[in-house]
Order: sequence, then structure tokens, then C-alpha cells
Amino acid sequence: MNFYRNLSIKQKQVVWAWSFLAIPVLFYTVIRFYPTFGAVVLSFQEWNLLSDKSWVGLENYQKLFSDPVFWKVFKNTFVYLLIGTPLSLVISFAIAYHLDKVTFMHATIRALYFLPFMTSAVAMAWLWRWFYQPVPIGLFNNILASIGIPQLPFLNSTFSALPSILAPAVWAGLGFQIIIFMAGLRSIPTSYYEAAEIDGVGSWTVLREITIPLLKPTIVFLVVFSSIGFLRIFDQVFNMTTNDPGGPLNSTKPLVLMIYDTAFNAFDMGYAAAQTVVLFTILLIVSLVQLFIMRERKYD
Amino acid sequence: MATVELKKLTKSFGKTEVLHGIDLMVEDGEFVVFVGPSGCGKSTTLRLLAGLDEVTSGQILIGGEVVNNLAPKERNIAMVFQNYAIYPHMTVRKNIGFGLRTAKMPKADKEKRIDEVAEILGMTDLLERRPAQLSGGQRQRVAIGRAMVRNPSVFLFDEPLSNLDAQLRTQMRLEIKKLHQDVGTTIIFVTHDQVEAMTLADRIVIMKDGHIQQVGTPSDVFQNPANMFVAQFIGAPSMNMLEGTVIDEGIQLGAGPVIAHKNQFPVDKITVGIRPSALVPATGGAPTLMAGTIAIVEPLGAESLAYVDINGTMVIATVSGRTPPIVGDVLPLTCPPEDIHFFDTASGKALS
Repeated sequence: MNFYRNLSIKQKQVVWAWSFLAIPVLFYTVIRFYPTFGAVVLSFQEWNLLSDKSWVGLENYQKLFSDPVFWKVFKNTFVYLLIGTPLSLVISFAIAYHLDKVTFMHATIRALYFLPFMTSAVAMAWLWRWFYQPVPIGLFNNILASIGIPQLPFLNSTFSALPSILAPAVWAGLGFQIIIFMAGLRSIPTSYYEAAEIDGVGSWTVLREITIPLLKPTIVFLVVFSSIGFLRIFDQVFNMTTNDPGGPLNSTKPLVLMIYDTAFNAFDMGYAAAQTVVLFTILLIVSLVQLFIMRERKYD
Repeated sequence: MATVELKKLTKSFGKTEVLHGIDLMVEDGEFVVFVGPSGCGKSTTLRLLAGLDEVTSGQILIGGEVVNNLAPKERNIAMVFQNYAIYPHMTVRKNIGFGLRTAKMPKADKEKRIDEVAEILGMTDLLERRPAQLSGGQRQRVAIGRAMVRNPSVFLFDEPLSNLDAQLRTQMRLEIKKLHQDVGTTIIFVTHDQVEAMTLADRIVIMKDGHIQQVGTPSDVFQNPANMFVAQFIGAPSMNMLEGTVIDEGIQLGAGPVIAHKNQFPVDKITVGIRPSALVPATGGAPTLMAGTIAIVEPLGAESLAYVDINGTMVIATVSGRTPPIVGDVLPLTCPPEDIHFFDTASGKALS
């Protein structure tokens, strides 16, 4: 105790800080960093859960890059990302922007938008799957049929399967993005808008030159958050195409599903680990690039 | 340059009426300050003038034209906000130029105009900076610059100095007054600070609870307050208010002393008001108006304030700053007769 007593105030603060940090540090080391490191090591090995691990060098990676399914899956993953992120952001911003101006039943409407976010992805996926069924079961095809338009194959066509899975994925994330956008919109002082109104600037200019630039921190957060979400898409795909995971001819299969298949259906753990490392690298690069491009200038 | 006229102006939010029929004529080039405690309706009036809120009834005329249904931009006014409302992501040049966006003039002219304004405000060197790199006073100047750039006919200021520290506030006050003398545009300025109102205004409009209490020049409202509210609101420290009753010799104060007065009053209950600055120690044979024990002395440097206990009623008097009396002393006080104000206790109105 005497030792602690003799420390300077600064040193005491450091002791306290590290005592409190110890638990998360331990947690991250054991639960996050160690398995991550283990996966990287495993990606250079061959292992089927039962056998002994044997070193194979870069073989897993060579196999991966020459695997046409991997490139198909790679493309699918980026289609999810490149369509899903901008689409969901534009829709959620449009809703938030207008909802912000609505005072009638504001809280209720906001709660309704938030509801999908709280719902289980599995339940949602199965519900949408039912929507997509042919007549007389599926909701969408029933509507199409009733107005005389031919049925669409939705999940059963290589062309429309991926968008059909993307739609509920976008829809499920909207609630969260709307809430974040609204919080961002609320944090812009009303006097900014009033000053613009007095200056006689049009609402389009206000949106482009005031609202969106000031929402930049919010947008950066949501782009990164939503990108990571779409790059890791799994629940929707897995549940909406259970009988044929990955859709017709792998047309909906994302990277995570491929990893799952390789690991827990083919029991090729080393190969799965190599795919994981690739996914991790992609996530890292995409996040860093986005943070760099949209890096926030310090105001105030 | 324009006159501003308010005719029977009212404003309600839902069922609550917050302005109850305001009438006011502001001359071209005049500097008018609205002052009052929070919730008195001064900011509401300004927002109605700006067109940010809609008039419930009555009329607003700018330059003789009714503007009730005109959008803010069509009124040719400019407004400076309390939090400046300058955009953090734009440079000073872009901020000042923002008001010119919709102006139909060549780009070169716009740039020239921005440079002119920056010149007037002494911010030419700061044009390429962002607001985060500016001090509070400089940000305020950017806000004023953005208002000036369009050559509006009326400037509206909504408590523009409240966010500045005391020293800077005094300095900006001076700059705004100088600016008004230079450009001569009509200014309507809202503040809750009576010192700001006194120092800046050509005429002061004192408001309370959605009513105008008095309109007049600073010396007018200070020397001839229309009612007890104005008397106490203007001037610091506040005017001493002593309740009394009319008797044959004058007014018998509740605190004891009798104030001699010859006039006839229409009412019995009178409140006598004396500013602390007029209530001084009775020396050199001056007649003693009242006397009491000193309870507290507050030195202010040039002078000191003495809180004098007159039979249980506390009054504030001004005493010497160099040799203030000591707590516990009995102090005889006097006041020139012209500095004694009389109010009807019931209605609060001033009596002559």
C-alpha cells in the first residue's frame, strides 16, 4: 500500500486506468485476437476436425484463387455491397429527412420503421420467402397475377434471386439507419436553416450545401457500418435458400456462406480459414478506404 | 433603407397568445432595441418581422409595404442570430457569399462585394479561414458580414452578443454602433441586457408579457419610466421601491419616513421610487430624507453601494468609493426632489 501511496497522481491514474482496461484487454485477446490469429495460421494448414493438422503452405490460397465458385461468390458479395449500401442509405435518408418534418404521430411512425430492425432475421427471411412463392401462396405473385402481369420467378432465377434477397436485407436495416440519420438531422441547429431561408436560398441548395455536408460524420458511420453488414451478409441468404444454399447456380451465395459450406459441410477447415482471411482483408481494406475518403474535417 | 411599422400585431402559438397587439413605428435609419425579460415576446416579434413565423393578426409594414405574406427573402431583411448560424464547413468567404447565391449579379461583382464587406469589418485576412479557426468575436463579425453583403433595408439582430464574454461584448457593442453610424441602415436589435439596450439604442422598446411597456430614448426611459416595471428593469442596481400612503404632509412610507409632496394624487396607495445612484449620504446641511443602519457595503471601485436598513426595509444607496461608511453606522440619506418617482401601487403606473 505504501508503494501505491508514493506514486504521483499521474502514475496513480495510469494504475487505475490499466486495472479497468485489464478485463476488456483480456477479453479481446482471448475471444478476438487469439482466434483471429489462429484462423490465419489455420489457413496454411489442412484439417478436417478429426485428422491432425498438417502444413500445406499457400495451397489453400492457390486453390481458392483458381476456384471459379470463389470468384462468383466474390462478385456476389460486392454486388450486395455496391447495391445494398447506397440504396439503403438513399432510402433511409429520404425517409428520415421527411419524417423529421412530420409531427403527426411522429414517434409511432418512427417505431414502425424501427420494428424490422428488432425482428429476428430468420423470421423475416422466411416471411419474405413466403412472399416470393408462386401463386396461390406468394403475396407478390398473387398481386401480379391479379393485375394480369405474368408471375416472376424471384428466388428461382439466377437473374432475380440476388435482388430478391437484397430487398429484405435493405429493408431490415432501414430502421436503424433512419434513427441514426434523424439524430444527425436533429443535431443541426435550426438557425442554420433559418439563416438560409432569410438569405432566400432554395431547399435543394440547402440540402446539398448545408444538410449533407453537416451530416458527413453520420454518413461516414452509416456507410462503414452498412458496408460491413453487406459484406458479411449470411442470415437472409441462408434462410431464404435453405433447400439450395446459395441460390440457383450459386447466384446468391456470399463469401460468408461459402465459408460456412466449406467448414461445416465439407469440413475443410484450412480452406475455410483461408476464405476467412480473404474476407477479413476485404473488410479491412473497404473500411479503411471509406474512412480515408470520407475522413472528417474537424469543425469547432 | 426603410421604415418598419407594426400595427396591432398579435401572435398565438396554439391557444396561447404571446403578443397582444403591438404598435410601433420605426423610422428609416433608426436603431431600435427591444429589451425585456425572457418570454416577453421580443424575439417572437423579431421572428415575425423576419418572416420566420407567421403573423396571427395585425400588420407588418416594411418601407410602407405590408409584408405579412411575403417570404423572408422577399422582405429584403437580414438577420444575425444568437449562435451566429455561420456554417462550420464553409470558409468565411463562402459564408459571407452565401447570402448572394440567389442574387442576379455577375460572379466578379459578387466577389467584389464580399471583399468590400470584409474590408469594412476588417476581416480581409480571414476570408479563406473556416469558422473553427476564428475567435468568438470574429465569428460574430462573419455573421454580420453575411447580413451586410446583400445590402438589406433592415438589419435584425437576435441577441447577437449573448454568447460573447463580457469584454468582447463591450467591444462588439461599440463596433455594431459604429457600423450603424457608417452604413445608416435601420436596425432592430433584441436583447435581454438593459445595458446593451441603453448604450446602443436610438429608441428603446421595453416589453413584458407580450405588451410594450414603454418606447423612448435611453435617457427618456431612464428618467421618466412609465411604470414600475420599466423603472426597475432599466438601470442597475434596480430602483428602490418603497410603498406608502398619502397623508396631508405628503407620503407616509411603510418604512417610517414621510416624503413631503405638495401635489394631489388620484390614489391613496403610492410607491415611491428612488434610484440607488440618486440616494446619497446627507452631508453639508442637505435635508435628511430617511436614515437607517448600514447592513452591507459593496465596493465597486469608483463608488460603493450601501444596503441601508430603514426600519426593516432595505434600500440601496450610493456612497463614496474612497471612504465608504462602516457596517453598523447610522447613515442619513438624501435625494434631489426631481429624482423621486411616484407610482400608483395598484396599477404600477407612474404619477407626475
